[in-house]
Amino acid sequence: MTDARGAAAPTPAPSAWDGGRTPVWGALAEFTTPDGLLAAAAAVREAGFERFDAHSPFPVHGIERAMRLKRSPVPWFVLVLGLGGAAAGMLLQWWVSTHAYPLVISGKPFFSWPAFVPIMFECGVLGGALGAVFGFLSMARLPRHHHPLFGSTRFERVGDDAFFLSIEAADPRFDRQRTPAMLADLGARHVELVDMPAPEASRKEPEGGAA
Amino acid sequence: MSGASGTTGSAARERIGVDVRQVSLPAGHPVAKLSLAAAVAGAVALAVAWALGGPRFYSSYLTAYLFFLTLALGGLVFVLLQFVTRAGWSVAVRRLAEHVMGTLPLFLVLFVPVIIGMGDLFPWAVGEGGGEHEALVGSKALWLQPGSWILRSAVYLVLWSVLGWWFRRQSIGQDRHPDPGVTRRLQIASAPGLVVFGVTVTLASFDWVMSLDPHWYSTIFGVYVFAGAVVGILALVVVLSVALERRRGPLAGIVTPEHYHDLGKLLFGFVVFWAYIAFSQFMLIWYGNLPEETVWYRQRFEHGWYPVSVAVAVGCFVVPFFFLLGRDVKRNRLTLTAAAVWLLVFHYVDVYWLVMPSALSVDPGGGFHPHWLDLLTLVAVGGLFAGAVGRLMAGPALVPVADPRLPESLSFENM
Amino acid sequence: MSVSEAPRVARAGVIPDVDPVEDRPLLVTGDPGFHGVTEAVARPVEWQPPLGWYVVLAISVSMLGLFGVSIGWLLWEGVGVWGNNVPVAWGWPIVNFVFWVGIGHAGTLISAVLFLFRQRWRTSINRAAEAMTLFAVMCALVFPGIHTGRPWVDYWMFPVPNQMSVWPQFRSPLMWDVFAVSIYGLVSLIFWYLGLVPDLATMRDRSKTRVRQVVYGLFALGWRGSARHWLHYERAYLLLAGLATPLVLSVHSVVSFDFAVAQLPGWHTTIFPPYFVAGAIFSGMAMVVTLMVICRVVFKLEHIITMLHFERMARLILAMGSIVGLAYGTEFFVAWFSGNQFEWFTFLNRSGGPYAWAYWIMISCNVLSPQVFWFKKARTSIPVLFAVSIFVNIGMWFERFVIVVTSLHRDFLPSSWSYFTPTFWDLATLIGSFGLFFTMFTLFVRFVPMVAMSELKGVLPQAHGGHHD
Repeated sequence: MTDARGAAAPTPAPSAWDGGRTPVWGALAEFTTPDGLLAAAAAVREAGFERFDAHSPFPVHGIERAMRLKRSPVPWFVLVLGLGGAAAGMLLQWWVSTHAYPLVISGKPFFSWPAFVPIMFECGVLGGALGAVFGFLSMARLPRHHHPLFGSTRFERVGDDAFFLSIEAADPRFDRQRTPAMLADLGARHVELVDMPAPEASRKEPEGGAA
Repeated sequence: MSGASGTTGSAARERIGVDVRQVSLPAGHPVAKLSLAAAVAGAVALAVAWALGGPRFYSSYLTAYLFFLTLALGGLVFVLLQFVTRAGWSVAVRRLAEHVMGTLPLFLVLFVPVIIGMGDLFPWAVGEGGGEHEALVGSKALWLQPGSWILRSAVYLVLWSVLGWWFRRQSIGQDRHPDPGVTRRLQIASAPGLVVFGVTVTLASFDWVMSLDPHWYSTIFGVYVFAGAVVGILALVVVLSVALERRRGPLAGIVTPEHYHDLGKLLFGFVVFWAYIAFSQFMLIWYGNLPEETVWYRQRFEHGWYPVSVAVAVGCFVVPFFFLLGRDVKRNRLTLTAAAVWLLVFHYVDVYWLVMPSALSVDPGGGFHPHWLDLLTLVAVGGLFAGAVGRLMAGPALVPVADPRLPESLSFENM
Repeated sequence: MSVSEAPRVARAGVIPDVDPVEDRPLLVTGDPGFHGVTEAVARPVEWQPPLGWYVVLAISVSMLGLFGVSIGWLLWEGVGVWGNNVPVAWGWPIVNFVFWVGIGHAGTLISAVLFLFRQRWRTSINRAAEAMTLFAVMCALVFPGIHTGRPWVDYWMFPVPNQMSVWPQFRSPLMWDVFAVSIYGLVSLIFWYLGLVPDLATMRDRSKTRVRQVVYGLFALGWRGSARHWLHYERAYLLLAGLATPLVLSVHSVVSFDFAVAQLPGWHTTIFPPYFVAGAIFSGMAMVVTLMVICRVVFKLEHIITMLHFERMARLILAMGSIVGLAYGTEFFVAWFSGNQFEWFTFLNRSGGPYAWAYWIMISCNVLSPQVFWFKKARTSIPVLFAVSIFVNIGMWFERFVIVVTSLHRDFLPSSWSYFTPTFWDLATLIGSFGLFFTMFTLFVRFVPMVAMSELKGVLPQAHGGHHD
């Protein structure tokens, strides 16, 4: 493991890695195994980077710890919306059966709470499920159909069998030369700089299959 | 002993060759003396209660008997289920359930007072033949008569004892003579074992609890008793695991927060399952509103029983549901033990609520009147039960050291 | 006194990939690796399907056409085209409804319950099983929709403010059904879709045509496999599984309440909820077996959907069938025990009366046929598995038929007794519903990856890594 921490110099000079004046979104390193990705992610976190991410075709066990990600708040969405749903279900039934349209059905009381439990439960589950989806989408900031990483051809294998680590140029410690070098030293099979997409090229171009 | 799962991996790798001596209670451990003391206390309490109790003794005794029996039966079904599902996670705690189910033969002996007190418990057991008996029992006279009832009860208890004893003996035998064939055999046997369990527990709950009110019937009753038993055993296993793991006990490094988490999840799941069964029974009877069915709930809502009914609903479901919802609560020894103890207490209240309103109505003055006999019989049966469990735990290893799935049990991780 | 040498595990201290007792691989055979899985699963979706697929589609679509005709005729003529009539006012439609809802439950069991129990083998079949759930629920929901006599006012069932100031009667179990089954469909869809997102991203990145890329890309929501995505995704998935589990129990329990809240002998019995749920899982598992036997051969996925999966499913079928058998026995026993002459008559009538033929079909298909699965040879034989799965579904259809019809055709008052006969349109509608189901499923396997690739990869040996510190 290298000493080079990819720490940013005050004004990075253009280098051979930079193809010109195109603004760079960040560096992308490809790994072949989940272990490799895990170790690299831990190392990058140790090096003090914050705006970086790991990408894999399936969740790599332990990577949230390596990257020191905070626990997901999705359970709170589920709890609140679930209890809310159940309450709403019971409230609806109570209001309809006692105020809006009270009916005497086989002598049962207007507020027949045992009979209202099934629907209350189902509404609670619905609320919880919607909470899970809504929570996931907002926390993951999806849908987001355009992202600079989609410009990389190698990145197309992220759903197949390749593992990637990306470090954004916006991170204060990013350096056009040293960061890719560091990533290469961490065992990456391939490192590239990902360009920021040009404003008029906002459509994702079909890459026509794996390179 | 830190509970950090980071230690699990390395500890597990060292412990894959787990030494029997490391996970047994050391010789001279107070458990042997404590068991004897508990058993003696239990026997004394039993004698006193029986001698002084009068007819009320039998109702209290049946409640206490059923409470502890459901724990032992819970142990049996827990072990059978772990084998039939080929579960890996539970191996580290399974031996504790095996020790609990090893007490089943004791319940054969403890059933004697129930037989003796039959006339004070079951309306159908008083007066053979004659108009009163016919009116009460009618077409099921062959079934609900002392002779066939005693025979059936003996069959249930013998079958459970044999199952429990055989499984436990095989498992312990594997410690000394490691052989994956033992596990294979137990896996194969667990399936018919579960069939036997299902049929006998259903019939036993009909015979011993449902027939307290011979006019009432509910097809789901066996499932209800089963659900309570599973909650009971999970709670008991939690208590035993924590007692043996904390403060560098024999199970330290073997039982981890992962096991607690899984036990907690199962506990939560079966609390919900119990509530589902209880509510199904209640709601269907309430909805149909047939007097021959609703009478059972009427008895439990009148004469002072209503607060107990509410306590059962709140204590067996509402509180544990919200308490066990969070992830961290299930991974922490203190909070999980608190939930387990709470559930054991309320499982007793549930059994009390099942038995006493019907049993007492045989007596004049039915109504909710807690009695010192209730506590004394609890101590009596409990002392003997605890003594038996302690005695069984003192000898063999506390973990099935040669179980081929033990490594998986020592090193799995939850999300 | 030490112990045996460390039992065989792939890596010490890790979940084994080889079963330590039975000494065989626990998941896929042939070690395809990540790319192999992607290729095996994605290829059938990208290439021209085999001729057999077109044949099956043609047959399914014609059955679907029959469905359309039956429903059209029903709407035109009215419910009289069916055999429903007093006293058997509920006939085939409700039997079909319960049948289809029941089948759906196995999908949720495999997805959600087996996930909670960390059964990694589920990853080969959960996608197809969940899809099966969705289509089964679709088929189920058609029946309450069309049977109301005036289906154009079905919207009255929903609690929507209207100009008549009328609201639904929430104390009715049929209202509980409306909520339970629709919410079940919705939550199953949510759960299925969430699981699909990473795989749709895989398909998006592999697409060779612009159309595919846009469509898959749209539904993939821009998924990048980011660790942050996975973090929230896994939490959401776990919670959905935790919600779907009680949902499964509750939905078929609510369906059973349709019968159990009545006072009819044979219907009003407290064991219905868990008994129906066990029966649902029983029939659903059988349907999964039927579908997987066919799909794995057609799409060459034998190394991913292996004999291990079938063996486990066979054991689940045996277990659920035994629970159903225990419930039959309990009901029969308590009918006698209760001393209630009506209840006892109902059971004598079921087993010995005019519908005894249906009762014994039910018993032989549901209780007897799964017993072969006590034998390993039967559990691992594809023809036996296929045959038993068909018998089980026949038996489960008959179970609902026996419950509905025998209790209704002879209840309290002998002067109301009658014998129900179905009509041609009853049968046509049932066959047509299979057309809907198979059409949807056939289209599903053509356009959507039928194995959960990302989940399967996540449990392969290569995914474990050495340490989790």
